[in-house]
Amino acid sequence: MSRLLFPLFVAMILAGCTGEDWRTQDVSDVLPPLDFELVNESGKTVTEQDYAGKATLLFFGYTHCPDVCPTTLARLRAILQQLDSTLRDRIQVLFVSVDPKRDTPESLSIYTDAFGPEFIGLTGTKAQIDDIANRYRVSYSYDEPDESGNYNVSHSSAVLAFDDQGHPTFMAIQSEPNEAVKADVTKLAKMVGKH
Amino acid sequence: MYPFFRSLLVGVSALLLSTGLAFASDVAVSNPKVRLMPGDIPSAGYFKLHNGTNETIKLVGARSDAFGMVHMHMSMKKDGMAHMKAVPEIDVAAGEDFEFAPSGYHLMLMKRSAPLKVGDEVVITLEFEGRDPMPVSFKVVSPAAM
Repeated sequence: MSRLLFPLFVAMILAGCTGEDWRTQDVSDVLPPLDFELVNESGKTVTEQDYAGKATLLFFGYTHCPDVCPTTLARLRAILQQLDSTLRDRIQVLFVSVDPKRDTPESLSIYTDAFGPEFIGLTGTKAQIDDIANRYRVSYSYDEPDESGNYNVSHSSAVLAFDDQGHPTFMAIQSEPNEAVKADVTKLAKMVGKH
Repeated sequence: MYPFFRSLLVGVSALLLSTGLAFASDVAVSNPKVRLMPGDIPSAGYFKLHNGTNETIKLVGARSDAFGMVHMHMSMKKDGMAHMKAVPEIDVAAGEDFEFAPSGYHLMLMKRSAPLKVGDEVVITLEFEGRDPMPVSFKVVSPAAM
């Protein structure tokens, strides 16, 4: 019996060592590692390698989103503000626009500055944005424009988290309580540099 | 009633209304805030509306000299997607509250026509069906503050 149980026991220990217990949804086995080619706030093409060394909170949205996007970013800001500066410096928030027609690098720069230095806007061509959106199963669609040409964009509103190696960790949906998101962001920051 | 007292009463009532206070039996707005976004990015207005009258009131829109366009909007979630839609009117029953709050109902404030900064007050007039419009002074706050 012990011969049968031993490998199982070892497997359980190994699983316990590599896996983390997240309070929000664990996506470490579900999502692929961080990988993209997009355009930064200065108009320069960048990849995930330009953001290596910090843990990443990835969020898709658009600047003409008056409610859900600022609410989500403000919540992340409030959580980051509660961390001590050493931990806060290990986190970056990448805000990927799914509305490249209206969101220029300049407008993204103005937008993310309203939330703090940890917030970085990324945009790109439709093809570049579709690549990263498809990779993380993020969907978005444009509503019909109104009489003045203004249109809403429907988009996935979850925050996806990656460690400093670009490995997926957790996903926080909008309705997730602040305490759970804060606990996971703190834990993610503490993991930076520990691999 | 003596004319003096009448004018005093009118004066006091006007003062109370203009400072945002209202009588218990009236329609009142509390915690009116505008979350100011930079540049030409739309901002959002949030507040709580109390219907202290004994009949249903119907909010049909809002306008402001500070914004070229003000729409009542609602954010919804469906299958993990955030959607937004325009809301033409909102009924608030007698004695009930209705809240415009982040991730739900909001005033979408577009085409800013005057420069605004955090700490300013901006007047947005709520429009009702069959009632006088109600000018409300909203406090302008930073997106990081909400």
